[in-house]
Formats: sequence, C-alpha cells, structure tokens
Amino acid sequence: MRLSVLLGAQAGFFVLLAIVWESISRLELVDPRLLPSFLTVLGVLGDLLTQRDFLMDLGITGLEVGVAFIIAAPLGVSIGFLLGEKLFLGQILSPMFHFMLSVPQSIFLPIFMLLLGIGFLEKVVFGVTHAIFVIIVTTTAAVRSVPRDYVTVARTFGATPRQIYLRVYLPAMLPVVMTGLRLGMIFNIIGVLLAEMDASRAGIGRRLFSWGEGFQLDLLLAGILLVSALTIIINEVMRYCEHRAARGHVA
Amino acid sequence: MSSEVIRVENLSKMYSTREGDFHALDKLSFAIEEGGFVSIVGPSGCGKSTLLQLLTGLLEPTSGQVLIDGIEVRKPLPEKTGVMFQDATLLPWLTAEENVAFPLSLCGKDKKESQLRARDLLKLVGLGDFINHRPAELSGGMRQRVAIARGLVRDPRILLMDEPFAALDEQTRFKMGEELLWIWQETRKTILFITHGLTEAIYLSDTVLVMGTKPGRIIEVIPVDLPRPRTFEMIGSEFFGKARNRIWTLIQEETEA
Amino acid sequence: MSKPSLIRYAILLALIALWFLVTAMEWVKPIQLPPPAGLWAAWQADGSRFLDAFALTAAEIAVAILIAWPLGIGIGAVFGSLRAVSEAASAILGSLFAVPAIILYPLFIAWVGMGPESKVLFGVIAGFFPIALNTLSGVRQVDQSYVTMGRAMGASRLQVFYRVVLRLALPSVISGLRIGTALIMISVVVSEMLASFGGLGYMIAYHRTMFDTGHVYLGILMALLTVLTVNWLLSMLESHFSKWQERGAEL
Repeated sequence: MRLSVLLGAQAGFFVLLAIVWESISRLELVDPRLLPSFLTVLGVLGDLLTQRDFLMDLGITGLEVGVAFIIAAPLGVSIGFLLGEKLFLGQILSPMFHFMLSVPQSIFLPIFMLLLGIGFLEKVVFGVTHAIFVIIVTTTAAVRSVPRDYVTVARTFGATPRQIYLRVYLPAMLPVVMTGLRLGMIFNIIGVLLAEMDASRAGIGRRLFSWGEGFQLDLLLAGILLVSALTIIINEVMRYCEHRAARGHVA
Repeated sequence: MSSEVIRVENLSKMYSTREGDFHALDKLSFAIEEGGFVSIVGPSGCGKSTLLQLLTGLLEPTSGQVLIDGIEVRKPLPEKTGVMFQDATLLPWLTAEENVAFPLSLCGKDKKESQLRARDLLKLVGLGDFINHRPAELSGGMRQRVAIARGLVRDPRILLMDEPFAALDEQTRFKMGEELLWIWQETRKTILFITHGLTEAIYLSDTVLVMGTKPGRIIEVIPVDLPRPRTFEMIGSEFFGKARNRIWTLIQEETEA
Repeated sequence: MSKPSLIRYAILLALIALWFLVTAMEWVKPIQLPPPAGLWAAWQADGSRFLDAFALTAAEIAVAILIAWPLGIGIGAVFGSLRAVSEAASAILGSLFAVPAIILYPLFIAWVGMGPESKVLFGVIAGFFPIALNTLSGVRQVDQSYVTMGRAMGASRLQVFYRVVLRLALPSVISGLRIGTALIMISVVVSEMLASFGGLGYMIAYHRTMFDTGHVYLGILMALLTVLTVNWLLSMLESHFSKWQERGAEL
C-alpha cells in the first residue's frame, strides 16, 4: 500500500516532467534546436532501439558494467567480511578503505588510461575501482552490525560455526550488504560511462559525448532518457531486493 | 472573582478518520482552583494527551471550551501555562541555563535578565551547580528538572505536565515527585499532572480525576484527603490503599468494557 | 599512537618507497608512471601555469558551491518540513540521484558551451542532490515532540523551524554539504578533463595526450589535495556540530 503510493508519486513526477518538457518546446519558450520536444525525442529513441550499431554500443557498455560488477561484488563482499571478522586486520585496513571511499575516484581516470591503455580492460578496471570500496565498507559495517546476542543464542542452542555463518550472519547482514551492492552498482555505472566519454571507440558514453559535440540534441536527449531510465530501473529493482531482504528486520 | 484558574466546559474533540469519526473526548467538565494539584489517570487511549493539547491551545476543541483565568484558550498562552512532557525535549546544543532561558529569548526578553532568571530557577530545582552543562552531560532526572525550570521561566500560574516522570526509574521518579511537591509549595503554582502511575497520582494530588475510554470522559473524581506534607508512610495507610484499589478497579473495568 | 595506525603509516611509506623503486628500476615505463622527481620537474617547468589553472578551477568550484548550497538546503528544508509530501519527495530525489549526472554534461556543453558556465552548471547538478537529500531527511527525522514543545512555549511556526528544527537537522545538513561539495569539486575537474580550454582538469587531459606524464600526475595530485583539504575542513565542521549529538547517543 505505502510502496504503491510512493511508486505512484515517482511515476507522477516523471509524467509531470515530460509534460512540462513537451509544453516548453511546443510553446517555443526555448529554441527547439536546443530542446527538441519530448515526443520527438521519444520517436528518435524508438528509431535508435532498432539500429544494430547503437544496440552494439549499448551491449558493450552493458558488458563492461556487468563484468566489472561480477568482479567487484564477490571481491568487495569477501574483503569486507574479512575486515569485519578479523578485528586486527579491520583496525588496520578499514580506515584506509574509508579514506579511499571519500576520495573521488574519477580523478584517477588519466592514470588508468596511462597504465592500462584505452579499451575494454581499462573501462572494466575503472568500474571495479568505483564499485569496490563502497561494497567493502558497507559489508564490514554489516558484519559489525550483527548483534553479538544472536551469535551467543545460536551457540547456546549448539549451532556449529557453519550454521552460525549461514543461518545467523548471512541473513542478519544481508540488507546492509545489499545497500552496499546497490551503491556499488551506481558508482560502477558512473565510472564506466565516464571512461567511455573521456576516450573510447565504443559504448553508450562515447555516443552521448559525440552527439553533444555535434549538437545532435534529439539523439543526445534520447540517449540521456534511455540511460536515465535504465539506471533508475536498476536502482529501483535493487532497492526492492533490499526491502525484501530487510523484511522482518528491526530498524 | 472566582479562584478557579482552569475551567473546562463540555469539552469534546472528534477526529475524522478513514474509518469514520472518532470521539477522542466527550463533554469533559472540571475546574481547578488556584494553587491546586490535580492528577488525571486513565487507561491508554483515553485521550489524556488530546486533553493536554487542548489545554495548551495546540488543538482546537470540536465543541466546548477551555478557560484559563477566565480567558478562552485558542492558541498557546506561554505567559499563563508552562508545559512539560515525558521527553524533556531540551535543545542539545544549549546549556542548562540557555535551555531554561529559551522561552524568554523567543519573545525577545533582555538577555542578562533572562540569564539571572534561569539561574535562579535552576537553583530552585537543585541544579545550581550545573548551569553550564549540556543535556547530554545530565542524567534523565536532571534533564526533567531543567524542563521543570523551563516550564516555570515565564512565571505562569499553571504548570501542565504530561507523564513527566514516566521514563525515569522508580527511585528517581519518587524523588522527582518529592521535589515537585516542594517546588509547588514554594511557587504556589496550579498543577495539572497526567500520569499512568496510580501511587504517584494519589501521593502528589489533592484530587485525582479518573478517565474512561471510548470516548474519553471523566468517570470519577477522587478527593485525596491526606494531610500535607505527604510522607512515605502514608502510602501504606488504609485510605491510600482503598483509593488505589478504587482507581485500579475503575480502570480495569474500562479496559475490559 | 596505536599499533594499527602505526602499521597504516608503514603501509603508506612502503607504497611511496615502492613508487621510488619501481620507477628507478624502470619496471614500468616512465610514460605510464613517472618517478617522483618527474612531478617536481613538471612543477618547475610549468608551475605558474598550474597555479593559473588552479585559480580558474577554484573559481568555478566557488560559484557552483554558492549556487548549490542554498539551493540544496532550501529545497531539502522545504520538502522535509512538508510532512505530507516529504516521503515521496525523498523517493523522487533518491531515484534521480541514481542517474549518473555525467550523462548530462554533453547536454550542458551544447546548451552553454565549453566555457566555465558548463562546469559550474554540472557542478551544481552533481552537488545538489546529496545536499537536498540529507537536508530533507535531517529535517524529516526531527522528533515531533520538539515541535510540540516549541509551539507550547509560544514560538511561532517560523521560530520553531529556524531555532529548533533546522538546528536539530544541522549535523545531517553538514554531512550532506560534505558529500555534495566533494562531488562539486570532482565534477568541475572531471568536466574540465572532458572538454574545456582551461583549468586543472584541462591541464591533466592536455598533458595526457602529450604523454607529459609528470604533468598529469602533478595535476591529479593538486586536484586531490584540494578535495581532501576541503573535505577535511567540512568534516571538522561536521564533528563540531554533532558533538552534542554523539554524546547524547551514548547516554
């Protein structure tokens, strides 16, 4: 009930945005070359989605994002778990990872380009570095957030260490870890898109940038619309999983 | 000129909810004499808090009225009524003294004067040595004392208290009660005290109003004919036991009905 | 000093030593990673140009901050105090925040050109969301009993808002400012890297294409130090204003 009201409000906002956009260009309040109408852009987007080479670009970006996430997620969760479990190691390394999280990684892009060259590998590695620190830090926080009492109670009932991990730690940590993964995914997408925009031969980021430079605003806006929609969908789906995982948890 | 400071006449409050109208309070009437100490007890959901909000002017009644000093209450009257809640709601970045002086700063009173007034009141509540402490450095009981001082800072004739000691432990709660009686005697304020604690209500008050639920109304007025000053031994007296049993039975019947 | 932090400093020193070693032994190419002396050489050669670039970047950042701070705090405070809509507003801002702001940058270039205006605009957009979101949630989480108490003490609605609610939300607002400002700074530098005629980001990008690796690393170092300094200042402010809150939580 509550959730559906919220979703309705969100949907309503985007519909309103589209209507405002459409009216602005219909009433020619701004130069239509600078802001083509919403419906025009929607039509252009429809065309784009039937073009093979555009879909290839979309696929390449998707692949980079996907591979980066498949590397960053298990690696980040494992490191985070280790830091949360091994107290001494955590004391040494956790502040370093916190620091790395507060340093904006985008600035290091030229270094990645110098070290790895420009290409698929550089994009993936850049995506991984964007995603991994937030995953590590939240996983460590998740481990520490598991109340000691849960473990004590499980022990008094004779749970084996394996059972404690699988039946106590994992479910208790899950919601926080999911938050970390979601943020990691968002950062990952930012990293890959940025790397593509700066220098690459393929990918949706490259497309957006060259449309911008070429003043092809209908194509550019169609691309922005598509990427926005995709990231919002990814974010909302992951947030939904988070809520599911958090069900029954207090606070 | 009557000596009634608070007069509640046929006070009703209805809320419209999706499930229909909800009768929070139904035709409440009572009066409190100058310098009186009256407690209100009742089962959960009997509208005690709604009553307090009406008395402070934070809510408007559906019908009936609240008169304070003969004036109908339509908005908060901080110069006539001081208020205190279960949560001390002290502002955490201000010292005890600044917290007490806060209501004065709201109406633009002179700073030096406010400071002196706040200090005097903190001395009155026994916190003379803590004027520069922040809420986080004070215990729960001390915070409530600051809140009492703040309630008194504009020198109102009435103190409205909504379960002020409910969050404190038993011992502190008793001590705060003693303290409050002392402050009451010193300042000659009129106090309306809402509580869940039957012992507390009888021990402190001249009169206990027992409220019933659905809709909220007063079901019995119990005068407490115990001499002042009250002593701990009185709690064991026959009168005290009878009064407590009577209230207990009344509330029990209300919750079962 | 505690043992873990000693070990951390040792790790940091080891990394710097490794940098000297790797470059001295030429295990990596100098155009990938310059020796530390390479940064010094770059400074000696072009120090004044770097300072000019820094001044431009700093000015762009300052203007973006002057716009984004009041905008974010204002909108966050308004929507946070409107109880009926604050949850929906928070959800909408949250999903917009998930959209990588970087995809809008080509649009800004097309709209306002490659000059400082597009950097400022991009910085404002990037910094606005965390500031607004944190202000909103800070205001929303203020305990209603404070509002009731303030009203009962005779404060007007405006007084309650300024003197109680906003002040209680301050730690959350400042932490939003810290995150938002870091994003503003980095967005300005990154957008200079992508397309511009000046600024620290331009210096980094230009010298990367020239393979003046010392210049690239020097530029990144300068940008990094700027971000870290401002971040540090804001976190001092943050801990100053949340002191009472933390101590309160302990009790």
